[in-house]
Amino acid sequence: MSNQNYYIPHGTYWPIIGSIGISITFVGLANLMHEVSWGAPVMGLGLTILVFMLFGWLGTVVNESISGTYNKQVDRSFRWGMSWFIFSEVMFFAAFFGALFYARILSVPWLGGADNNMFTPELWEGFKATWPLINTPGAIGQSGTTFSTDFILVDTWGLPAINTALLLSSGVTITYAHHALRKGHRNALIAWMIATIALGVLFLGFQITEYGHAYHDGLKLTSGIYGSTFYLLTGFHGFHVTVGAIMLTVILYRIQKGHFNSENHFAFEGVAWYWHFVDVVWLGLFVFVYWI
Amino acid sequence: MDIIIIAIIIVILFSLGSALVGMIRGGEKGSDKMFKSLRLRISLSVFLFIMLMFASYMGWIEPNNVLPTQ
Repeated sequence: MSNQNYYIPHGTYWPIIGSIGISITFVGLANLMHEVSWGAPVMGLGLTILVFMLFGWLGTVVNESISGTYNKQVDRSFRWGMSWFIFSEVMFFAAFFGALFYARILSVPWLGGADNNMFTPELWEGFKATWPLINTPGAIGQSGTTFSTDFILVDTWGLPAINTALLLSSGVTITYAHHALRKGHRNALIAWMIATIALGVLFLGFQITEYGHAYHDGLKLTSGIYGSTFYLLTGFHGFHVTVGAIMLTVILYRIQKGHFNSENHFAFEGVAWYWHFVDVVWLGLFVFVYWI
Repeated sequence: MDIIIIAIIIVILFSLGSALVGMIRGGEKGSDKMFKSLRLRISLSVFLFIMLMFASYMGWIEPNNVLPTQ
């Protein structure tokens, strides 16, 4: 906070390395999708460069922060940067939750003849608007004209509830970690952080197990609008938990290095908020997919 | 029952948003607001989960049947 002029980094090469990494990743991905043999390794190379860039660039930012290069204005710009990132994340999940609501409350009932769509049932003989819909009429790969939706009861109090309990517990532990950091209790902070990361990893383990069960029981990405929205929502959520657990691990490393104090710990705040957000998304999933 | 669940979720979202405002503001006040809002949001979430368990046990709500058979 010593320098009162806005800090502008000079001579940094990380942006161009990032651009090269992204370009190589997408060249690899495009060729992978065309089933070209070198697609996957090239994409792997691109991702490696991206990870290298992230470590290097964020490492530089951390070192600049510790050396006292940043002032209050830079601090504000970090906070705003984080808020825009959060806005994009909220909109991302809003789109998927929106798709779930639209399919469930509007388009599926319409296909079944709701509102002024009394003729649509003529298009798909035997179709009844039910939820979960696992065989969308007219969809690519939809087999025959059977829209039968027979369901076996799965105990919502099984894995989904265990996972909710795990993630909510991690929300409690990170709140205790936050409290410990604000009070300057370093050992408690480290212990609560380790507990939070462990609970997150455990959640991911159970989620993989649940996918195994669901897939085995015939619920796939191609299982109608329900299968698609189920896997996209829970899959992207799982990806976010993974990213959150990595960020928490980095923060734990930084705590052990003594980078934060009870007043100055924006990096912790950003990651803590992100973790709470991911927790709320799961709670929304649990309630809207399994209950309401 | 659904209305109560959705109402609690709205309050949870509101407190998460309030924490975000605190984080953007920064400083001692902002940091304080952020922590208190996050504490409220986790408390409400745990309460909602326990309430769901209780309501289900009492037979007030039924879970969705989630896995289709083919």
